[in-house]
Amino acid sequence: MIELFKDLFEYQFLQNAVAAALLVSVVAGIIGTYITSRRLVFLSGGITHASFGGIGIAYYVGINPVIGAIIFSILSAFGIEALSHRKNIREDSAIGILWAFGMAVGIIFIFLTPGYAPNLLSFLFGSILTVTNSDLLYLLILNIVVILFFIIFYRPILYIAFDQEFARTQKIPVTLMNYILIMFIAIAIVLSIRVVGIILLISLFTIPPATANIFSHHFGKIIFWSILLSFLGSFIGLILSYSINIPSGASIVVVLVLMFGVVKLLFSLYNRIQRKLIMF
Amino acid sequence: MNKILDVVKVTAGYSSDIVLKDINFEVVDNDFIGVIGPNGGGKTTLLKLLLGQIKPFQGQINFYPSSKDETLFGYLSQVSDIDREFPIKVIDIALSGLMSNRGFWGESRKENRKKAFEILTITGVDHLYNRSVKELSGGQLQRVFLSRALISQPRLLILDEPNTFVDNKFEKELYELLKELNKRMAIIMVSHDVGTITSYVKTIACVNRNLHYHRSNKITTEQLAAYDCPIQVITHGKIPHTVLLDHCKEGSV
Repeated sequence: MIELFKDLFEYQFLQNAVAAALLVSVVAGIIGTYITSRRLVFLSGGITHASFGGIGIAYYVGINPVIGAIIFSILSAFGIEALSHRKNIREDSAIGILWAFGMAVGIIFIFLTPGYAPNLLSFLFGSILTVTNSDLLYLLILNIVVILFFIIFYRPILYIAFDQEFARTQKIPVTLMNYILIMFIAIAIVLSIRVVGIILLISLFTIPPATANIFSHHFGKIIFWSILLSFLGSFIGLILSYSINIPSGASIVVVLVLMFGVVKLLFSLYNRIQRKLIMF
Repeated sequence: MNKILDVVKVTAGYSSDIVLKDINFEVVDNDFIGVIGPNGGGKTTLLKLLLGQIKPFQGQINFYPSSKDETLFGYLSQVSDIDREFPIKVIDIALSGLMSNRGFWGESRKENRKKAFEILTITGVDHLYNRSVKELSGGQLQRVFLSRALISQPRLLILDEPNTFVDNKFEKELYELLKELNKRMAIIMVSHDVGTITSYVKTIACVNRNLHYHRSNKITTEQLAAYDCPIQVITHGKIPHTVLLDHCKEGSV
């Protein structure tokens, strides 16, 4: 571990990895709190996997896979948002269809692309150690935009998430806000693929807010704690991955789940002790 | 009496399903209208129309604002529609009622919080301000939602079955509170419980595909039958009894 800290000062790729973990933690903490509070976890999983279709097509036509993924994920996100207001289509079925369809399109186009697709596995499982400076720049811009948006529109976002029907009676532009937020979800997901990959991505947006929700029921505080827990988990996961040489995405997820378990346990112990104290 | 809104020859419903047909209706200041009718008769559809959540197929709804910055509606929806696990505090729910006409961000935070505490005191849940939705009982949540509807001092308060999920004590308190509020605002209340509301409301609207406006709070079974309103009537008398009407007449339900 000491070796890691020594390397951290020496190697740019490690500094990039830590910076990526921090930036992804912030955006995933904010967006993830929104996702879990509104129960959009399955929707987000669908968007994540649908984005693979964009990656496949981008490989085939020879453009930057991230751009393909962003286009695909935003389109699928808007599609689901638009469909969910129609009564004759069940939202979770629509998500299920899109989920598989995106993956299928991705697989077909990668198969059709001549030669070897070098970064394919890193999209599926993530590779935080190969994060580039331009990846970091995109993440930084996204972070700034999302942070500003959530600070300025904190109350409307909270009220819409809690009770859309009532928010509509309050002249809040609910539909517009829903589209903006789902666009942020889509972009945040795609830019986070680097860190844990498509398959494990939903963990970053779900586990930290779920952990924070054990001890807090305040939207803003859950965001704060999610960011903290997420960065802590990513950092520890990174150390583990580096020192015992296991895939970074998977080790981050395992650490996050362990943290969830520990918090849950501590919280129920704390409750039990408090109840005993009250009885005496 | 100043008119708040009127509904002129409106037909409305969902996709191909007509729920309300050719209804006429008006609300003036300080009205207290009880909306009754069978399930599926169109009570909630009527509220959605007034609130602008759905648009009429035919006809029109006109509003007559008395000033530019008044809040027209306070709306108390059915509690069952919300997610009880959502991480939000009581004080924030009350504050959410202030979004409409006070700009996107509202007035100063301190000012708003003061207002929220005042209204929570009126509804009797100020001590719960820091609790989350999860930790409230049905009746407490209903009071919080009432606070949210009242905080902007609306001209018209719309309540959708406020007596579901609440205990008798709260129900009685709620009606007394509404009576008090009625001095300052018009109220439309949807209810199943015809017997109780008739002693508080001033007029009654029977909604069953059509709308019959009854300009009194005394309504008899015969009148209900004439209005095509097959609902339960509890009469006041020496022997407590309930009269159940048949769900009769083809096409009335």
